[in-house]
Amino acid sequence: MFNLYKFIPMKKRILWLRFLLLLFAFVSASAVYAQEFSVGGKVTDATDGSSIPGVTVVIKNTTMGTVTDIDGNYSIKVKPGDVLVYSYVGYQTQERAFTGDKKIDIVLAASVSSLNEIVVIGYGTVKKQDATGSVTAIDKKSFNQGLISSPQQLIVGKIPGVQVTTLGGAPGGDAVIRIRGGSSLNASNDPLIVIDGVPIDNTSTSGARGTLSMLNPDDIETYTVLKDASATAIYGSRASNGVIIITTKKGTAGGKKIGLEYSGNVSIATVPRTHKVLGADDFRSLVKQRYSGNNAVLGLLDSVNSTDWQKEIFRTGISTDHNIAISGAVSTMPYRLSVGYMYQDGILKTDNMQRTSIGLNINPAFFQNHLKVNLNAKYLYEKNHFADNGAIGSAIAFDPTKPVTATNNFGDYWGWLQPGDTLPVGQATSNPVALLQLRDDNSHVNRFLGNLQLDYKLPFFPDLRAVLNMGIDYSKSKGTVYVPPYATWVYSSKGTDNTYDQDKNNEVLDFYLNYTKDVKSIRSKFDVMAGYSWQHFYFEANNHNSNVPHDPAYTSDVKAKKEYYLVSFYGRLNYTLADRYLLTFTLRDDGSSKFSKDTRWGLFPSAALAWKINEEVFLRNSKVVSQLKLRVGWGKTGQQDLGDNWYPSLPIYTASDQFAMYQFGNVYYTTLRANAYDAGLKWETTATTNVGIDFGFLNDRITGSIDYYIRKTTDMLCYVPVPAGTNLSNYVWTNIGDMQNKGWEFNLGLKAISTKDWKWDINLNATTNKNEITKLTVNDDPNYAGVLVGGISGGVGNTVQIQSVGYPMYSFYVFQQVYDANGNPIEGLYVDRNEDGKITDADRYRYHSANPTSTYGVSTTLSYKKLSLSAAGHAAIGNYVYNNVSSNRGVYSNLYRPEGPYLSNVTSDVYDVNFANNQYLSDYYVQNASYFKLDYLTLAYDFGNLIKNTLNLRLSLTVNNVFTITNYKGLDPEVNLGSSVGIDNNMYPRSRVFVLGVNLVF
Amino acid sequence: MFLATTLFLASCVKDLDTLPIDPRDMTPNNVYTSAAGYKQVLAKCYAGLSVSGQQGPAGNADISGIDEGFGEYLRGYWYHQELPTDEAVIGWNDQTIKDFHAQKWGSGDVFVAAMYYRIFFQVSQCNEFIRESSDDKLNERGINGADREEVVRYRAEARFLRALSYYHALDLFGNVPFITENDPAGKFFPPQIKRDKLFTYVESELLAIEPLMRAPRTNELGRADQGAVWALLAKLYLNAKVYIGVDKYTECITYCKNIMNAGYSLEPQYEDLFLADNENSSENIFSIRFDGSNTQTWGGTTFIVRAGIGGSMAPADFGVASGWGGTRTTSAFVRKFYPDLAANGLWSSPVYKQHKGAYPILYVPGSYQEWDPTNTTTVLASVLGDEKYEGYLNFPDASTQFKFCTTPDWTNDYGDDGSGTGTLAHPGANIVAADAGYYKINVDMNALTYTLLKTTWGIVGSATGSWDVDQPMTYDATSGMWSATLDLTAGKIKFRANGGWALNYGDNGGDGKLEQDGTDIDIPVDGTYVITMKLGAPDYTYQIVRASFDKRAMFWTDGQNLEINDIGTFTDGYAITKFKNITSTGTPGKNKEYVDNDFILFRLADIYLMYAEAVLRGGSGGDLGTALNVVNKVRTRAYGDTGGNITSNELTLDFILDERARELYWEGYRRTDLIRYGRFSASTYLWPWKGGVADGISTSAIYDLFPIPSSDVSANANLLQNTGY
Repeated sequence: MFNLYKFIPMKKRILWLRFLLLLFAFVSASAVYAQEFSVGGKVTDATDGSSIPGVTVVIKNTTMGTVTDIDGNYSIKVKPGDVLVYSYVGYQTQERAFTGDKKIDIVLAASVSSLNEIVVIGYGTVKKQDATGSVTAIDKKSFNQGLISSPQQLIVGKIPGVQVTTLGGAPGGDAVIRIRGGSSLNASNDPLIVIDGVPIDNTSTSGARGTLSMLNPDDIETYTVLKDASATAIYGSRASNGVIIITTKKGTAGGKKIGLEYSGNVSIATVPRTHKVLGADDFRSLVKQRYSGNNAVLGLLDSVNSTDWQKEIFRTGISTDHNIAISGAVSTMPYRLSVGYMYQDGILKTDNMQRTSIGLNINPAFFQNHLKVNLNAKYLYEKNHFADNGAIGSAIAFDPTKPVTATNNFGDYWGWLQPGDTLPVGQATSNPVALLQLRDDNSHVNRFLGNLQLDYKLPFFPDLRAVLNMGIDYSKSKGTVYVPPYATWVYSSKGTDNTYDQDKNNEVLDFYLNYTKDVKSIRSKFDVMAGYSWQHFYFEANNHNSNVPHDPAYTSDVKAKKEYYLVSFYGRLNYTLADRYLLTFTLRDDGSSKFSKDTRWGLFPSAALAWKINEEVFLRNSKVVSQLKLRVGWGKTGQQDLGDNWYPSLPIYTASDQFAMYQFGNVYYTTLRANAYDAGLKWETTATTNVGIDFGFLNDRITGSIDYYIRKTTDMLCYVPVPAGTNLSNYVWTNIGDMQNKGWEFNLGLKAISTKDWKWDINLNATTNKNEITKLTVNDDPNYAGVLVGGISGGVGNTVQIQSVGYPMYSFYVFQQVYDANGNPIEGLYVDRNEDGKITDADRYRYHSANPTSTYGVSTTLSYKKLSLSAAGHAAIGNYVYNNVSSNRGVYSNLYRPEGPYLSNVTSDVYDVNFANNQYLSDYYVQNASYFKLDYLTLAYDFGNLIKNTLNLRLSLTVNNVFTITNYKGLDPEVNLGSSVGIDNNMYPRSRVFVLGVNLVF
Repeated sequence: MFLATTLFLASCVKDLDTLPIDPRDMTPNNVYTSAAGYKQVLAKCYAGLSVSGQQGPAGNADISGIDEGFGEYLRGYWYHQELPTDEAVIGWNDQTIKDFHAQKWGSGDVFVAAMYYRIFFQVSQCNEFIRESSDDKLNERGINGADREEVVRYRAEARFLRALSYYHALDLFGNVPFITENDPAGKFFPPQIKRDKLFTYVESELLAIEPLMRAPRTNELGRADQGAVWALLAKLYLNAKVYIGVDKYTECITYCKNIMNAGYSLEPQYEDLFLADNENSSENIFSIRFDGSNTQTWGGTTFIVRAGIGGSMAPADFGVASGWGGTRTTSAFVRKFYPDLAANGLWSSPVYKQHKGAYPILYVPGSYQEWDPTNTTTVLASVLGDEKYEGYLNFPDASTQFKFCTTPDWTNDYGDDGSGTGTLAHPGANIVAADAGYYKINVDMNALTYTLLKTTWGIVGSATGSWDVDQPMTYDATSGMWSATLDLTAGKIKFRANGGWALNYGDNGGDGKLEQDGTDIDIPVDGTYVITMKLGAPDYTYQIVRASFDKRAMFWTDGQNLEINDIGTFTDGYAITKFKNITSTGTPGKNKEYVDNDFILFRLADIYLMYAEAVLRGGSGGDLGTALNVVNKVRTRAYGDTGGNITSNELTLDFILDERARELYWEGYRRTDLIRYGRFSASTYLWPWKGGVADGISTSAIYDLFPIPSSDVSANANLLQNTGY
């Protein structure tokens, strides 16, 4: 690396200091005396000069305002420095600062509504109406409401083609995002997330609750999702799964010098449902019935106690969230400083998260706006106490006739003991309450995300801008896990005393030149950009694992250190002819250090055409069609994110740890293993074709878009079996296989009612996606079923899913259950699908997939004056879930386990199947999990200006996770899309949350 | 400025040439700098048989696509060699594991694939070592002198390990991909080698390295030597008829004899071969090493020990934290030891778990125990809690005096009221038992009466030959138990006192608890038994142990059914107690989770039986006299005396097959042996659950070979699937 970069941190420090001094100056100078004036005027239509009645006129950042009368006239009291905002549906909003003029007439232009918005795209911005790709932007007004503990939760169900699934109900609310189904089989399917110009690391951070946890959701201004290749290809190497660009709130020039805003909430999280298991009495009678006369078993029953273990582990969680933001501007220096603090108790006892965040943005301009500086700094401190999530499964399984506590040597928690009553039963279920109360699992995470962007318009050549962006995404986390040696489940190893720490440091440097030229003579606009990007990823982790006495036999240190680099060159041409024919062409050349010299560069082009039909003469004056744009795009993107292996194309020998040594004579040798590698590894490529229409009718009271896409991934980076003996292991990361996604996306926005008092907005979206693996092996052997995936709980190594050619990824791979005349499954009896007279593995078949065939989102807001009611929900159709809780727990053989021995509970659906033993591979457990969820319902009242010009108050009451409609037999049909796709296995239940929110603006 | 920019960009592009920054990730250039570096890679070639990855017990796995424990070499080998046979069943619901018993595995089977890929993992790691230790490479790297001598020997050992895995490949899969050190790691389609050609290759490799290896028993413990090479050659030749259709029994005898003359000797106690400190046995020829502290895995001997523990077996007795409740054996195998075994199973000595302190007790301080009212071993008990106490006490001297105390002190003592009618008074006079002896004492604290009955005990019943004549038992004061050693025939017995039926004990419910007038006790098998009875305070219990028999029959029968109704139920089928994480001196292994036991892959007793078989099959160079002699060496050790020795007439091929089962069960040879005898598939030999049916049914001969995993047939255009799959 060039030396310049190494100096950045110091420069940043200096900037910080300067800023703090400035800030101090602002605060001390803020008490300004204000005098009131009366201002009036008329609002007219730009097209025909007619007056517009009903235009809202408010003083910015207040709720003080008025409405124009029937002749378009208004009158309002203002202070010097106030900014008036004029808005009316179907027109572009205007702002005008009060500078002393008593009469302010306003000409409002009909808006081409939201399309006039500026949307951020890769390395630049574009007017939404000029965008040629499939780009969806939503801003803070449309975000989800209620308890939002992670940024991803803001957009659940909001954007067609974007599936956001929270991983359960744990604090921190981590979620998985899939855009158009994901493009890869084994490599990452996470979209690239760019925050204020810094592409962030999307790998999980040790001890942190979520991958996006560096960001306080309250600081987010907009989400922009780039879906098709013409939009994403400029990000090339990391953009195959789409790009999400997040911008954070900033101070604005021309506003108040100091504005203070507080938003906060208190919430109560409850447990909506628990798994249905047998109660103590039912359990006793079932055991007595099935083991009648067997005193060895019946003697294990406790005749008195009755414990609802799920009740014992869950609680009502109380959380609070406070955010204070100071924003404003001093002359040309807008700033925003925010501080947030969140305290969240999980509904699982002992689970707690605290997050403190500080965000700072200053974006001054110098030299008559020739040099724009944008400095962002976000710091986050997260403190966690993690509950042992294993308690959820244990609570389902634990014998309900046992008490929670007992007087014993195991922390006074009741536990199963071997005959003789001195040693715990190693195989038995652990006391769920003990799992929670005896485990002390803490973490501390520090994360910093910052960048400095310099945007310089050359004074001698103003059409040319040079932009330099330097960013850093740094995290340092550490944690400890302690379980006392007397806990039953670690009794033989004498407890757990682990510590870990992790450092991640990712740096980015972008430099690009942008040339824009409007050549009126040929009615052409050119916007040309070319740039260079350098990224460095560094990872270091240390794990120290031991038992409580720190016996050498139980003590180990696992360390890891690695890095990789990405270097890219890119360019884009936007050409606009006659303001209605748009062409975008991009090209990106990416190099990744993960690949060998000969294969490391990948070239990713894209092209797109758009036709703004509504600008054509025949539509220009249409009262019906306010916008109509046709988009056609094609492009390629690359993928090199194949997980933890950052050196997949190098021959590397890995040393064994102290527990995997080999003894010659009396000496233990650390062994060295030659790892598998593919020196010819290269980029996985996804080609996307997209056709779309954006439309707006009736002055944009109805807006929307329709897109159709086909995404073909080739040379997939797969971790698959290679010919035995050719490499140094049986699986290697290699380029093999193809996959395809295709589907439709619809988006519709409706301003159903828009009057002075009543407003009703409705937004609907729908997506279909069809995923199919089209190639997976060199040979097409019909006997080769595919790659087994989808490990379940129960037995060891059991899998219920498969990746195979001709089917969607993660198709379930199970036996076809045979049912009796009454429709009850017959234990162990399956259809002999290949008719060879015996039931073998070859009789398994592919039965549905975890991925929905279609997804839907709906949100709506109804408001009357200052009162508003809003709700949003989302739905999925055609998604199936493997009910692992039922398949694992709902059989009679769980009641009594002779290895131990011990008893354990069963789920109530044991009576439905009447299975004695587990039938893990029965398709009975693959259940339709289509659902509709009402995500929130919010009632808000905007009190407006409470104390003259100084305090605005908004109160809201929200219920999150209001209800779910589904036929799925398990707890929650929306199943974890993290490491296991569509396998329901003791998920942390999503809570129902009641939130009281307060928003104060000073 | 332009120049600066260009330099800047160029330097950034150079960043893409990054190399690993973690010192634990090495490249060939810094691995192979000395013999020590080579030895670490060689250690992996060995460890590949033992651990599943570079982290113990799991983590950074060697092979993928399978649970790491299942993907461990020995566990996979054990699954393939034992589970499809009469020696073992497994109760778990793991994937397709039950297909092994049923002999119905398919080409998509994950366990079969795991074994196959494990073999080729070994082959490719050995190939890598052999490639990197060529003369050219050693010259290039300047490895000379003593270092070079070492590396040359390592190389021969790597070739041995490769030959061993190729031997497994040819035994299990037959026709497999063939890769040598001449095929560097990369992307290509290896050719398929036919079983007979692979035989030739393995044979030639072993013959080539024989002179390069250290002499038998001179290498470091754990490393292969000439003995290992000879043992593998002997195995190859013994099965040559199966592999290549040609007899090689003479060659087998040659290499067996080499071993028999090399200074190995049978471990005196059979059971010591399978304990935590078995590494030093002079019977071992080649072992796979495990260690509870430093060589941990969820496979290997940890699997063999822990999977076999369940039901009423106490994990602590096996040196582990808990059992996995998986593996047992079939009745067909039990009958290799007990050919006439009745359908209701092998006699099992019931073990009754006494309810300690479950009953109210009465203390009996006296002159025989130094007048200690707190002594809880000399008490009577009231089983029904009705103030009627009874129990047995031993008075070694005549005129023993004693009293009864309701509490462990002298506040509530009772003695004789002086009437001499057996009536009690508080405090009363000392009670006197005139004669020394073993007394049954009854006390009724409500009626305040007591009785004394002097007893001697004997055993009667059809098993003793008479329901009238007692076989006397003797009392041991130290253990407090009555015992007798008797030759019994299958039948019934009871315990009775004083040669009459007034006081007699049988066992209701076969729970090990004795009851007055209880049910007769079963002796299902003829044999010599040590019978013990423990009276004292109730409950009364007994134990019956066989005295002289084939001690290799290590079954756990308590609570286990002989026959298997449900493979998933651990208590169906007898458990095996052969492998324990306990040393020969009785101390537990280092770690309760992972065992210390080495797995002895080749041992002398196996060679003895191979020698005898090769002689019987007509190989030359050996003789029947030696064959009988070495077989009887194995038998004598098994019985602890010559009682089990056979005559030359009894030395038949069928006897050898059964003797191999008795001697080598659960050691990974059963499938190969049954195939050599033509009894694995088809219907020549049926055992419970063969073919997936409780009684056993005929299976197809295609199952004599495992299929090439379909994943490899898909990945490698050169592969043809084995017949029938």
